[in-house]
Amino acid sequence: MKIKVIVSVIVSAVLVLACTVGPIAATLIYESYLTRDLTAEIITRSPEKGNYSPRFLSVPVGEKVKLRIRNVDTVVHGFAIPALQVDAGEIKAGHSVTLEFTPEKIGKYDFYCTVWCSEHHLQMRGVLEVTAQ
Amino acid sequence: MPEQNNQQQKLLGLIPLNWRFDLTSVPGVRWLLKRRWFPMIAILINMLVFMIILTSGIMGGFSSGNYSFGVMIVWILWWVMLMMFLVPVLSRTWCMICPLPSFGEWLQRLRIFGVNNKLRGLNLKWPRRLRNMWVMNFLFLGTTFFSGFFTVKPLATFFLLGGIIALGIVLSLIFEKRSFCLYVCPVSGFQGLYANMAMTEIRVKDPNICAKHKNKTCETGNKNGYGCPWLLQPHSFERNTYCGMCLECFKTCPFDNMAFNLRPPGPDLLVNKGRGLDEAFKGFIMLGIAVMFYVAMMGPWGGIKEWVRGATLRGWLSFVGVHTVFCLVLIPGIFLVTAWLSKLASGQKEVSLKTVFVNLSYCIIPLGLAAWIAFSFGFLLPNASYILHIISDPFSRGWNLVGTANFPWTPVATGWLIPLQFITLLVGYLVSADFGYKLVCQTYADPAAAKRGFIPLLVFLTLVIISFGWLYGG
Repeated sequence: MKIKVIVSVIVSAVLVLACTVGPIAATLIYESYLTRDLTAEIITRSPEKGNYSPRFLSVPVGEKVKLRIRNVDTVVHGFAIPALQVDAGEIKAGHSVTLEFTPEKIGKYDFYCTVWCSEHHLQMRGVLEVTAQ
Repeated sequence: MPEQNNQQQKLLGLIPLNWRFDLTSVPGVRWLLKRRWFPMIAILINMLVFMIILTSGIMGGFSSGNYSFGVMIVWILWWVMLMMFLVPVLSRTWCMICPLPSFGEWLQRLRIFGVNNKLRGLNLKWPRRLRNMWVMNFLFLGTTFFSGFFTVKPLATFFLLGGIIALGIVLSLIFEKRSFCLYVCPVSGFQGLYANMAMTEIRVKDPNICAKHKNKTCETGNKNGYGCPWLLQPHSFERNTYCGMCLECFKTCPFDNMAFNLRPPGPDLLVNKGRGLDEAFKGFIMLGIAVMFYVAMMGPWGGIKEWVRGATLRGWLSFVGVHTVFCLVLIPGIFLVTAWLSKLASGQKEVSLKTVFVNLSYCIIPLGLAAWIAFSFGFLLPNASYILHIISDPFSRGWNLVGTANFPWTPVATGWLIPLQFITLLVGYLVSADFGYKLVCQTYADPAAAKRGFIPLLVFLTLVIISFGWLYGG
């Protein structure tokens, strides 16, 4: 009888934890696995709602860069670094795009939104700095 | 027509309202309903989904609602399932598997699957004056003031659901059993109202067995289960309104005397017991909200959309004011005039206006439910395809769990939208008129008076259906 009660308590506790903390833990573990080799994540919002975040990035020359661009806004945005021939195309609201490239030259490169997203669209830009190793 | 009891009446003159099929006569169903782990296992699975919804409210960014797991599951999938299937077919089955009050209930019981009838917490009685639907009426109406946020912003949905869970826990520690579900939960009230139209019910098989049973274990509980958590008397159920279908009475009944019946829709509307102004106003409020939601979300009036989404405080306050007056004053006011005209036409002075008002108000329930089903078609068909995206990428992190993250937005059968809405509304109108006539016959003893008293009610229902027709088709 006592063993039955103990087993019942353990099973109940495991089930409740699995259905409450479980999804949160699984989400965090899976997300950290997917982003294990990510250089940076850039959040996109229209300039009046916060602009790119971060707007300045520094990466070493000659090393692979992996960027995830997350559009958390309610409108379509874009992301491009023309000098490095990087273009994510249109990123719909609620979507993410992952880009990989290797900058070969030291310098400062502008990135900006390629979709007319608001009346402040032209201010939606940032800088990627490529530095010596 | 002389007043007939439920045993003799037919829905639309076709289906006998006393037809029943007890699903527990199927051995597997009976076995399932008597297990202690059911419906708890379903609640736990549902809780897992709700945790993903809550997590998506925080982790899912602040993007537009149609790419948010929380917004899509709660306001598209859940709402549509609730209005189009769960409530009209399975009564309050949602309450059976709802995870929101579970934390509070577990704290009361200190058990999850087992039975412990010595409940913890203060176990206070709910205030007598509030033992009705009024709190739920105002809370649900109040919730709709923020519909422009909940249906768009994932974080707002997180706060709404989180708030309901927190309130459920606090009230469960103060008041007895499911007082929160019975008197407070905003989702509970309208489910109870529309569950009167449901095609299933929990009732006793043989009332004589209950009459002879002195212990009434369905109320008090025993080693097999809890006394009715909804503070009801399962041995004398006549309406679905307040039964949360927790199935405890199936477990506690020593005579196996509880039935889970299939039935035609609507016989509870004719139960002349337990009716009140609170339930009548729930019907008006739900009808009013169905109209206002359509106007705000699907209508062509951009200015009203700006009001609802709170572009300016003044605009939002205007929406709150107009919405409140429409639901609490205008619709009930027009119906009061209808009831007064009905009484006048009937010539039955001995029947009070309040009785006429309350009794006849139950006939708008089928039309109200139909309006909600028609409204639900309006966002199900254009938006359902977003669900394929959000189940693959629930937190807007670029995941592709089941390979459907890039499934494009694909409206489905939208050419059929307006015909479907019109057919639904027409069925609702016919059923409302049918029950309206039955209710008039119940209210006025004299058949000739009933026929005269039905005319203003039919005019009211016809004006409502014409208004909906103009709104949906025009």
